[in-house]
Amino acid sequence: MMKMILRRLASSCLSLFILVALVFFLAHLTPGGPAYSILGQKATPESVAQLNQRLGLDQPLLKQFGLWIWHLLHGELGYSYLLNRPVGQLLWVYERNTLIFYTVSIIISTALSIALGLIQGVWFGRWPAKLIGAFQLGFYALPPFFVAAMLILWFAVDVHWLPASGIIDLRDPHAGIASFAAHLVLPVTTVSLLTVSSLSRYFGEAVHEELGKDYVRTARAKGVSFASILFRHVMRNALRPLITILGLSFPYIFTGGVIVESVFNYPGLGWLMWRSALSQDYPILIAIVLVIGVLTVLGNLLADLVNGLLDPRASYE
Amino acid sequence: MNAVLEIKNLSVTLKRGGRDVTILDQLNLRIAPGEMQALVGESGSGKTIAALAIMRLLPPGAAITGEILLNGENLAAAVEPRMRQVRGKSVAMVFQNPLAALNPSRTIAAQIGEAWRVHQGGSAAQARARALELLDEVGIPDPKNRLNDYPHQFSGGMRQRVMIAMSLACSPHLLIADEPTTGLDPLIAQQIMTLIARLRRERDMAVLFVTHDLSVVQEHADSIHVLYAGRSVEWGAAAAFFQHPRHPYSEALLGSVARLGQARLRNIPGNLPEPEQRPPGCRFAPRCAYASAVCSTAYPPADAQGATLAACFHPLPRTARPAFAETLAPRPARNFAPLLDVTDLGVRYRGAGGWFGAARRLPPSLAEVSFRLGRGECLGVVGESGSGKSSLGRAVLQMIEYDGQVTLDGHDFHAMAGRAKRDLRRKIQVVFQDPRESMNPRMTIGEVIAEPLRLRGGLNNAARRARVEALLGQVGLNPEMAARHPGDVSGGQAQRIAIARALAAEPELIVLDEPTSALDVSTQAMLLNLLKDLSLKHALSYILISHDFAVVSYMSDRIAVLNAGRIVEMNETAALLSAPRAAYTRALIGAAPQLQPMQA
Amino acid sequence: MSEAAMLSLSKSLGGRLAGNATLKAGLVLSGLILFLGFVAPFLDPVNPYTIHPSHALQAPNGQFLFGTDELGRDALALLLSGGFTTLIVALPAALLAFFIGVTYGFLSGLGPAWLDRLLMRLLDVVLALPSLIVLLFFAALVPQSNFNLILLLGLISWPSLARLVRNEVLAQRGRDFMLAARQSGASSAYLARVHLLRVIAPILVVNGTFMIGDSVLATSALSFLGLGVQPPQESWGSLLQGALDIAALDPWWLILPPGLLIFGALLAASLTGQGLLQIWGNKR
Repeated sequence: MMKMILRRLASSCLSLFILVALVFFLAHLTPGGPAYSILGQKATPESVAQLNQRLGLDQPLLKQFGLWIWHLLHGELGYSYLLNRPVGQLLWVYERNTLIFYTVSIIISTALSIALGLIQGVWFGRWPAKLIGAFQLGFYALPPFFVAAMLILWFAVDVHWLPASGIIDLRDPHAGIASFAAHLVLPVTTVSLLTVSSLSRYFGEAVHEELGKDYVRTARAKGVSFASILFRHVMRNALRPLITILGLSFPYIFTGGVIVESVFNYPGLGWLMWRSALSQDYPILIAIVLVIGVLTVLGNLLADLVNGLLDPRASYE
Repeated sequence: MNAVLEIKNLSVTLKRGGRDVTILDQLNLRIAPGEMQALVGESGSGKTIAALAIMRLLPPGAAITGEILLNGENLAAAVEPRMRQVRGKSVAMVFQNPLAALNPSRTIAAQIGEAWRVHQGGSAAQARARALELLDEVGIPDPKNRLNDYPHQFSGGMRQRVMIAMSLACSPHLLIADEPTTGLDPLIAQQIMTLIARLRRERDMAVLFVTHDLSVVQEHADSIHVLYAGRSVEWGAAAAFFQHPRHPYSEALLGSVARLGQARLRNIPGNLPEPEQRPPGCRFAPRCAYASAVCSTAYPPADAQGATLAACFHPLPRTARPAFAETLAPRPARNFAPLLDVTDLGVRYRGAGGWFGAARRLPPSLAEVSFRLGRGECLGVVGESGSGKSSLGRAVLQMIEYDGQVTLDGHDFHAMAGRAKRDLRRKIQVVFQDPRESMNPRMTIGEVIAEPLRLRGGLNNAARRARVEALLGQVGLNPEMAARHPGDVSGGQAQRIAIARALAAEPELIVLDEPTSALDVSTQAMLLNLLKDLSLKHALSYILISHDFAVVSYMSDRIAVLNAGRIVEMNETAALLSAPRAAYTRALIGAAPQLQPMQA
Repeated sequence: MSEAAMLSLSKSLGGRLAGNATLKAGLVLSGLILFLGFVAPFLDPVNPYTIHPSHALQAPNGQFLFGTDELGRDALALLLSGGFTTLIVALPAALLAFFIGVTYGFLSGLGPAWLDRLLMRLLDVVLALPSLIVLLFFAALVPQSNFNLILLLGLISWPSLARLVRNEVLAQRGRDFMLAARQSGASSAYLARVHLLRVIAPILVVNGTFMIGDSVLATSALSFLGLGVQPPQESWGSLLQGALDIAALDPWWLILPPGLLIFGALLAASLTGQGLLQIWGNKR
């Protein structure tokens, strides 16, 4: 088991390095470059050259890359041209917001998905499952920004129950945890609705598939009750694909669905990525890609670990 | 004596494609305490459905009528909570394919313990102690250290022992074993059957043993009940049945089982009818040699004139010698011109290597194998799973890399390349175990058979079509079959098509890789006879790979016994069977399922 | 795709189409969306870019059936031209991604082991990121035009299909019927063209359909984020974005139609794909 993890880790690091290199070179090889985006398209060549020199962008690419890696190893992620702050500092502020937002969403989504999936798997082919199936198909096809727009229109504009954007009420100097929570309701609802629609489907199908397996018949032949079969035998095996998918969606916890964060103006990592993309702030973009890459690797590894605990066969491969 | 189980007029209807289909019709049987009764039939006979009906474990939508009396209590009318008390306590079941039938993610102690605790209550520690007892009883070595192991850590035979231990947890009155040895190697299968036989003696437990394998029945069962297309055809004492079968189907079935030293297998013409298309009256009548007009009027009543009961209008008289006994005859020795020469063949698979480590070196799956094969000769290759017999076939077929030499017609494959090699390779064809897998599901049968012709070129469309029809005729199929898809034909038909495709390439040698192990007994006989005829007609050579000693001995002129990648013994069939030199060969022959020859 | 493969597909499709409600619904909806995107814009005489300042932000009425936006542009005309722009970007992008994905998958699945390793390693790298992140990253880099957008979407959306195709090719190429065909003298090219394509065709068609939906979503999402279709051109995504900017004024007639149309397009692709899957899925 340990050996497998180490091998996976080593292999992932290699992937990660290739990815970072790819991103770095592509970013620096494209025409235009950051100087133009800072100075505007009408910048004179002289001013561009001057800025490039100041930012070290006139150095040979390989040297820039080496320097960047060197800084990276010292925990320095670079410097935002536009916001004039170290990238690492920026990332942490935004990441914290995303972390809260997505942890809440994932917990709600997972709990709902397990409940719906169980219903769907147990009543497969009958009306409760068909109802859930229609919900899944519908929400699967709903674009997240449209869901967000409708929620804003109903709950923020029409009935004024909830705030439409931001993270805290700026007009109220004493705004505390309650205000923060209120700001979280709509983004969390959007993400949860969409996540549940696909997650519950995977889980429902897994439950149905497991219920059809021979070992379930064996358990029935022993006289085990249905509830016992469901929770002692089937759940454990059906959770495995769900965990794999959760592991794959791990990076989203931190990037926090760029779209949802941008619609609700929620200052998370996704929002930062969006603003940086609009203003072509490369150091931040590259840093975010790097962070997300690392998190993806960690997420997959974590899923493998949990699955290894759930499934004794995995550790022998 | 009181019966443990008495089934009266049991019928089972399943929903198939929106319609009710009667799978099992008016079954009547009785099992006494300590009795071992075999419920025998080919696939589609309804035998497994009968077993599941007793446990009330039928798929949703199933309806049952009639009575299932277990110690006098009618299970057919029992409610689900009551059935939960019965299952595992009074009746237990052992399923085939224990790897799937056990939960992969729970320890065997937990699974065996559960079977006990569900009915007896008790603490986890008590359940563990009981599991240990049971594992010891079914002969798991060092059971104490294996309690926390998972199913995948056991071998196939050991897994089935675990399954049996689980079924014994509450000392049931009746054990239902549904094909418990299917998929196991013969030596292991024999051990499992011996174990079940021992347990029922020691515990005076009744056993209902569901199987398609008559030879196992003859060795172990007290009584037999034969089903055909959902209805009983013959039932009674096993010994009497094997001595004097009375139903024409029983006779035909016994005649189609390969036995050592047999010159000709009997086959049953026609196909098993689908449950939707069962004929009126006697269901076997359309395939029966003795059928008359009366047979299609009504289902025949049981005839009690002999030692067994047969549902037949024309049962075989007690004095008649069964037709199959006459065909036992010695095989004439033949001489063959040389065709294939295999020298020092070795196959070694490379383990999957990581990105950083080199590929692991695995032990060779085949080493130092040499043999010659004559034109028109059949070489049987016998071995257990993992013996390297499939590697041998694939190396000869040039499908995998190998060391050593394979020479066909004097041409060494390793010394050839390009078109010449492809042309030489075409002379060796293959028939696989799973006939459906060996055909592209999206091609028509005609396209499948025409493919070798098209690849070789030289024929126009019309000539090709004519050739396909001729080939279909050669393997005994209707030319109209050419328009159908592989999914629409039966297993036996599909295997014939695979043979026709092989013949289309005009081969000199066909490698038969377990060609009949996916087929029912009667279909198997038909196919083996077809292969035999084709070999005589075209001077075709075969390498027949099988785990079934009886099939191999029926087909082969010589037999090679393979163990751990090496040939332990190779000899003429008769000599090998009568005087095996290697101990391993003797063990294999001893474990081979085979019917005892009739006494005249 | 080879002719024989197409033929065998369409044959197996013909009989069962009638019985499958999902597929029928999907095809009808697809037809509707395609009509709205490619035919309706040319039937509507109103110029979407004409500004009527005096009629700004009107709810649907007799003169403006779908109302007007904050500049006083006709919302219906904007919607139709936006649909044209969305589809003219999304469909070619999906096609491009489809071809890259299929080619990559086949190369990896059929090529030598070292090539497979190399290609899969590269795929791991690309798949290590959510595709929207990659899209955003590159959308920020390249100058914005519809053509670049198509290239961008096409060049970024293929990896998951490539992996699927590769795995399927690997699973299929070891099957007995492939071995049997090779034994009869079939070349690798013949095997790929005749056997592989026939068994994989359903998977390709189904996933190609899903890909169209994904492409419409990606186009709309990028436009919504301001990194896709650029003004003065509008797309469904940018129309929705524009309306949401003035959400406080409750312009429901500007939010609902583009949102519903994107939903309709995604649903059309999803239903069609699901329907095809139901017809072909269980037959390998």
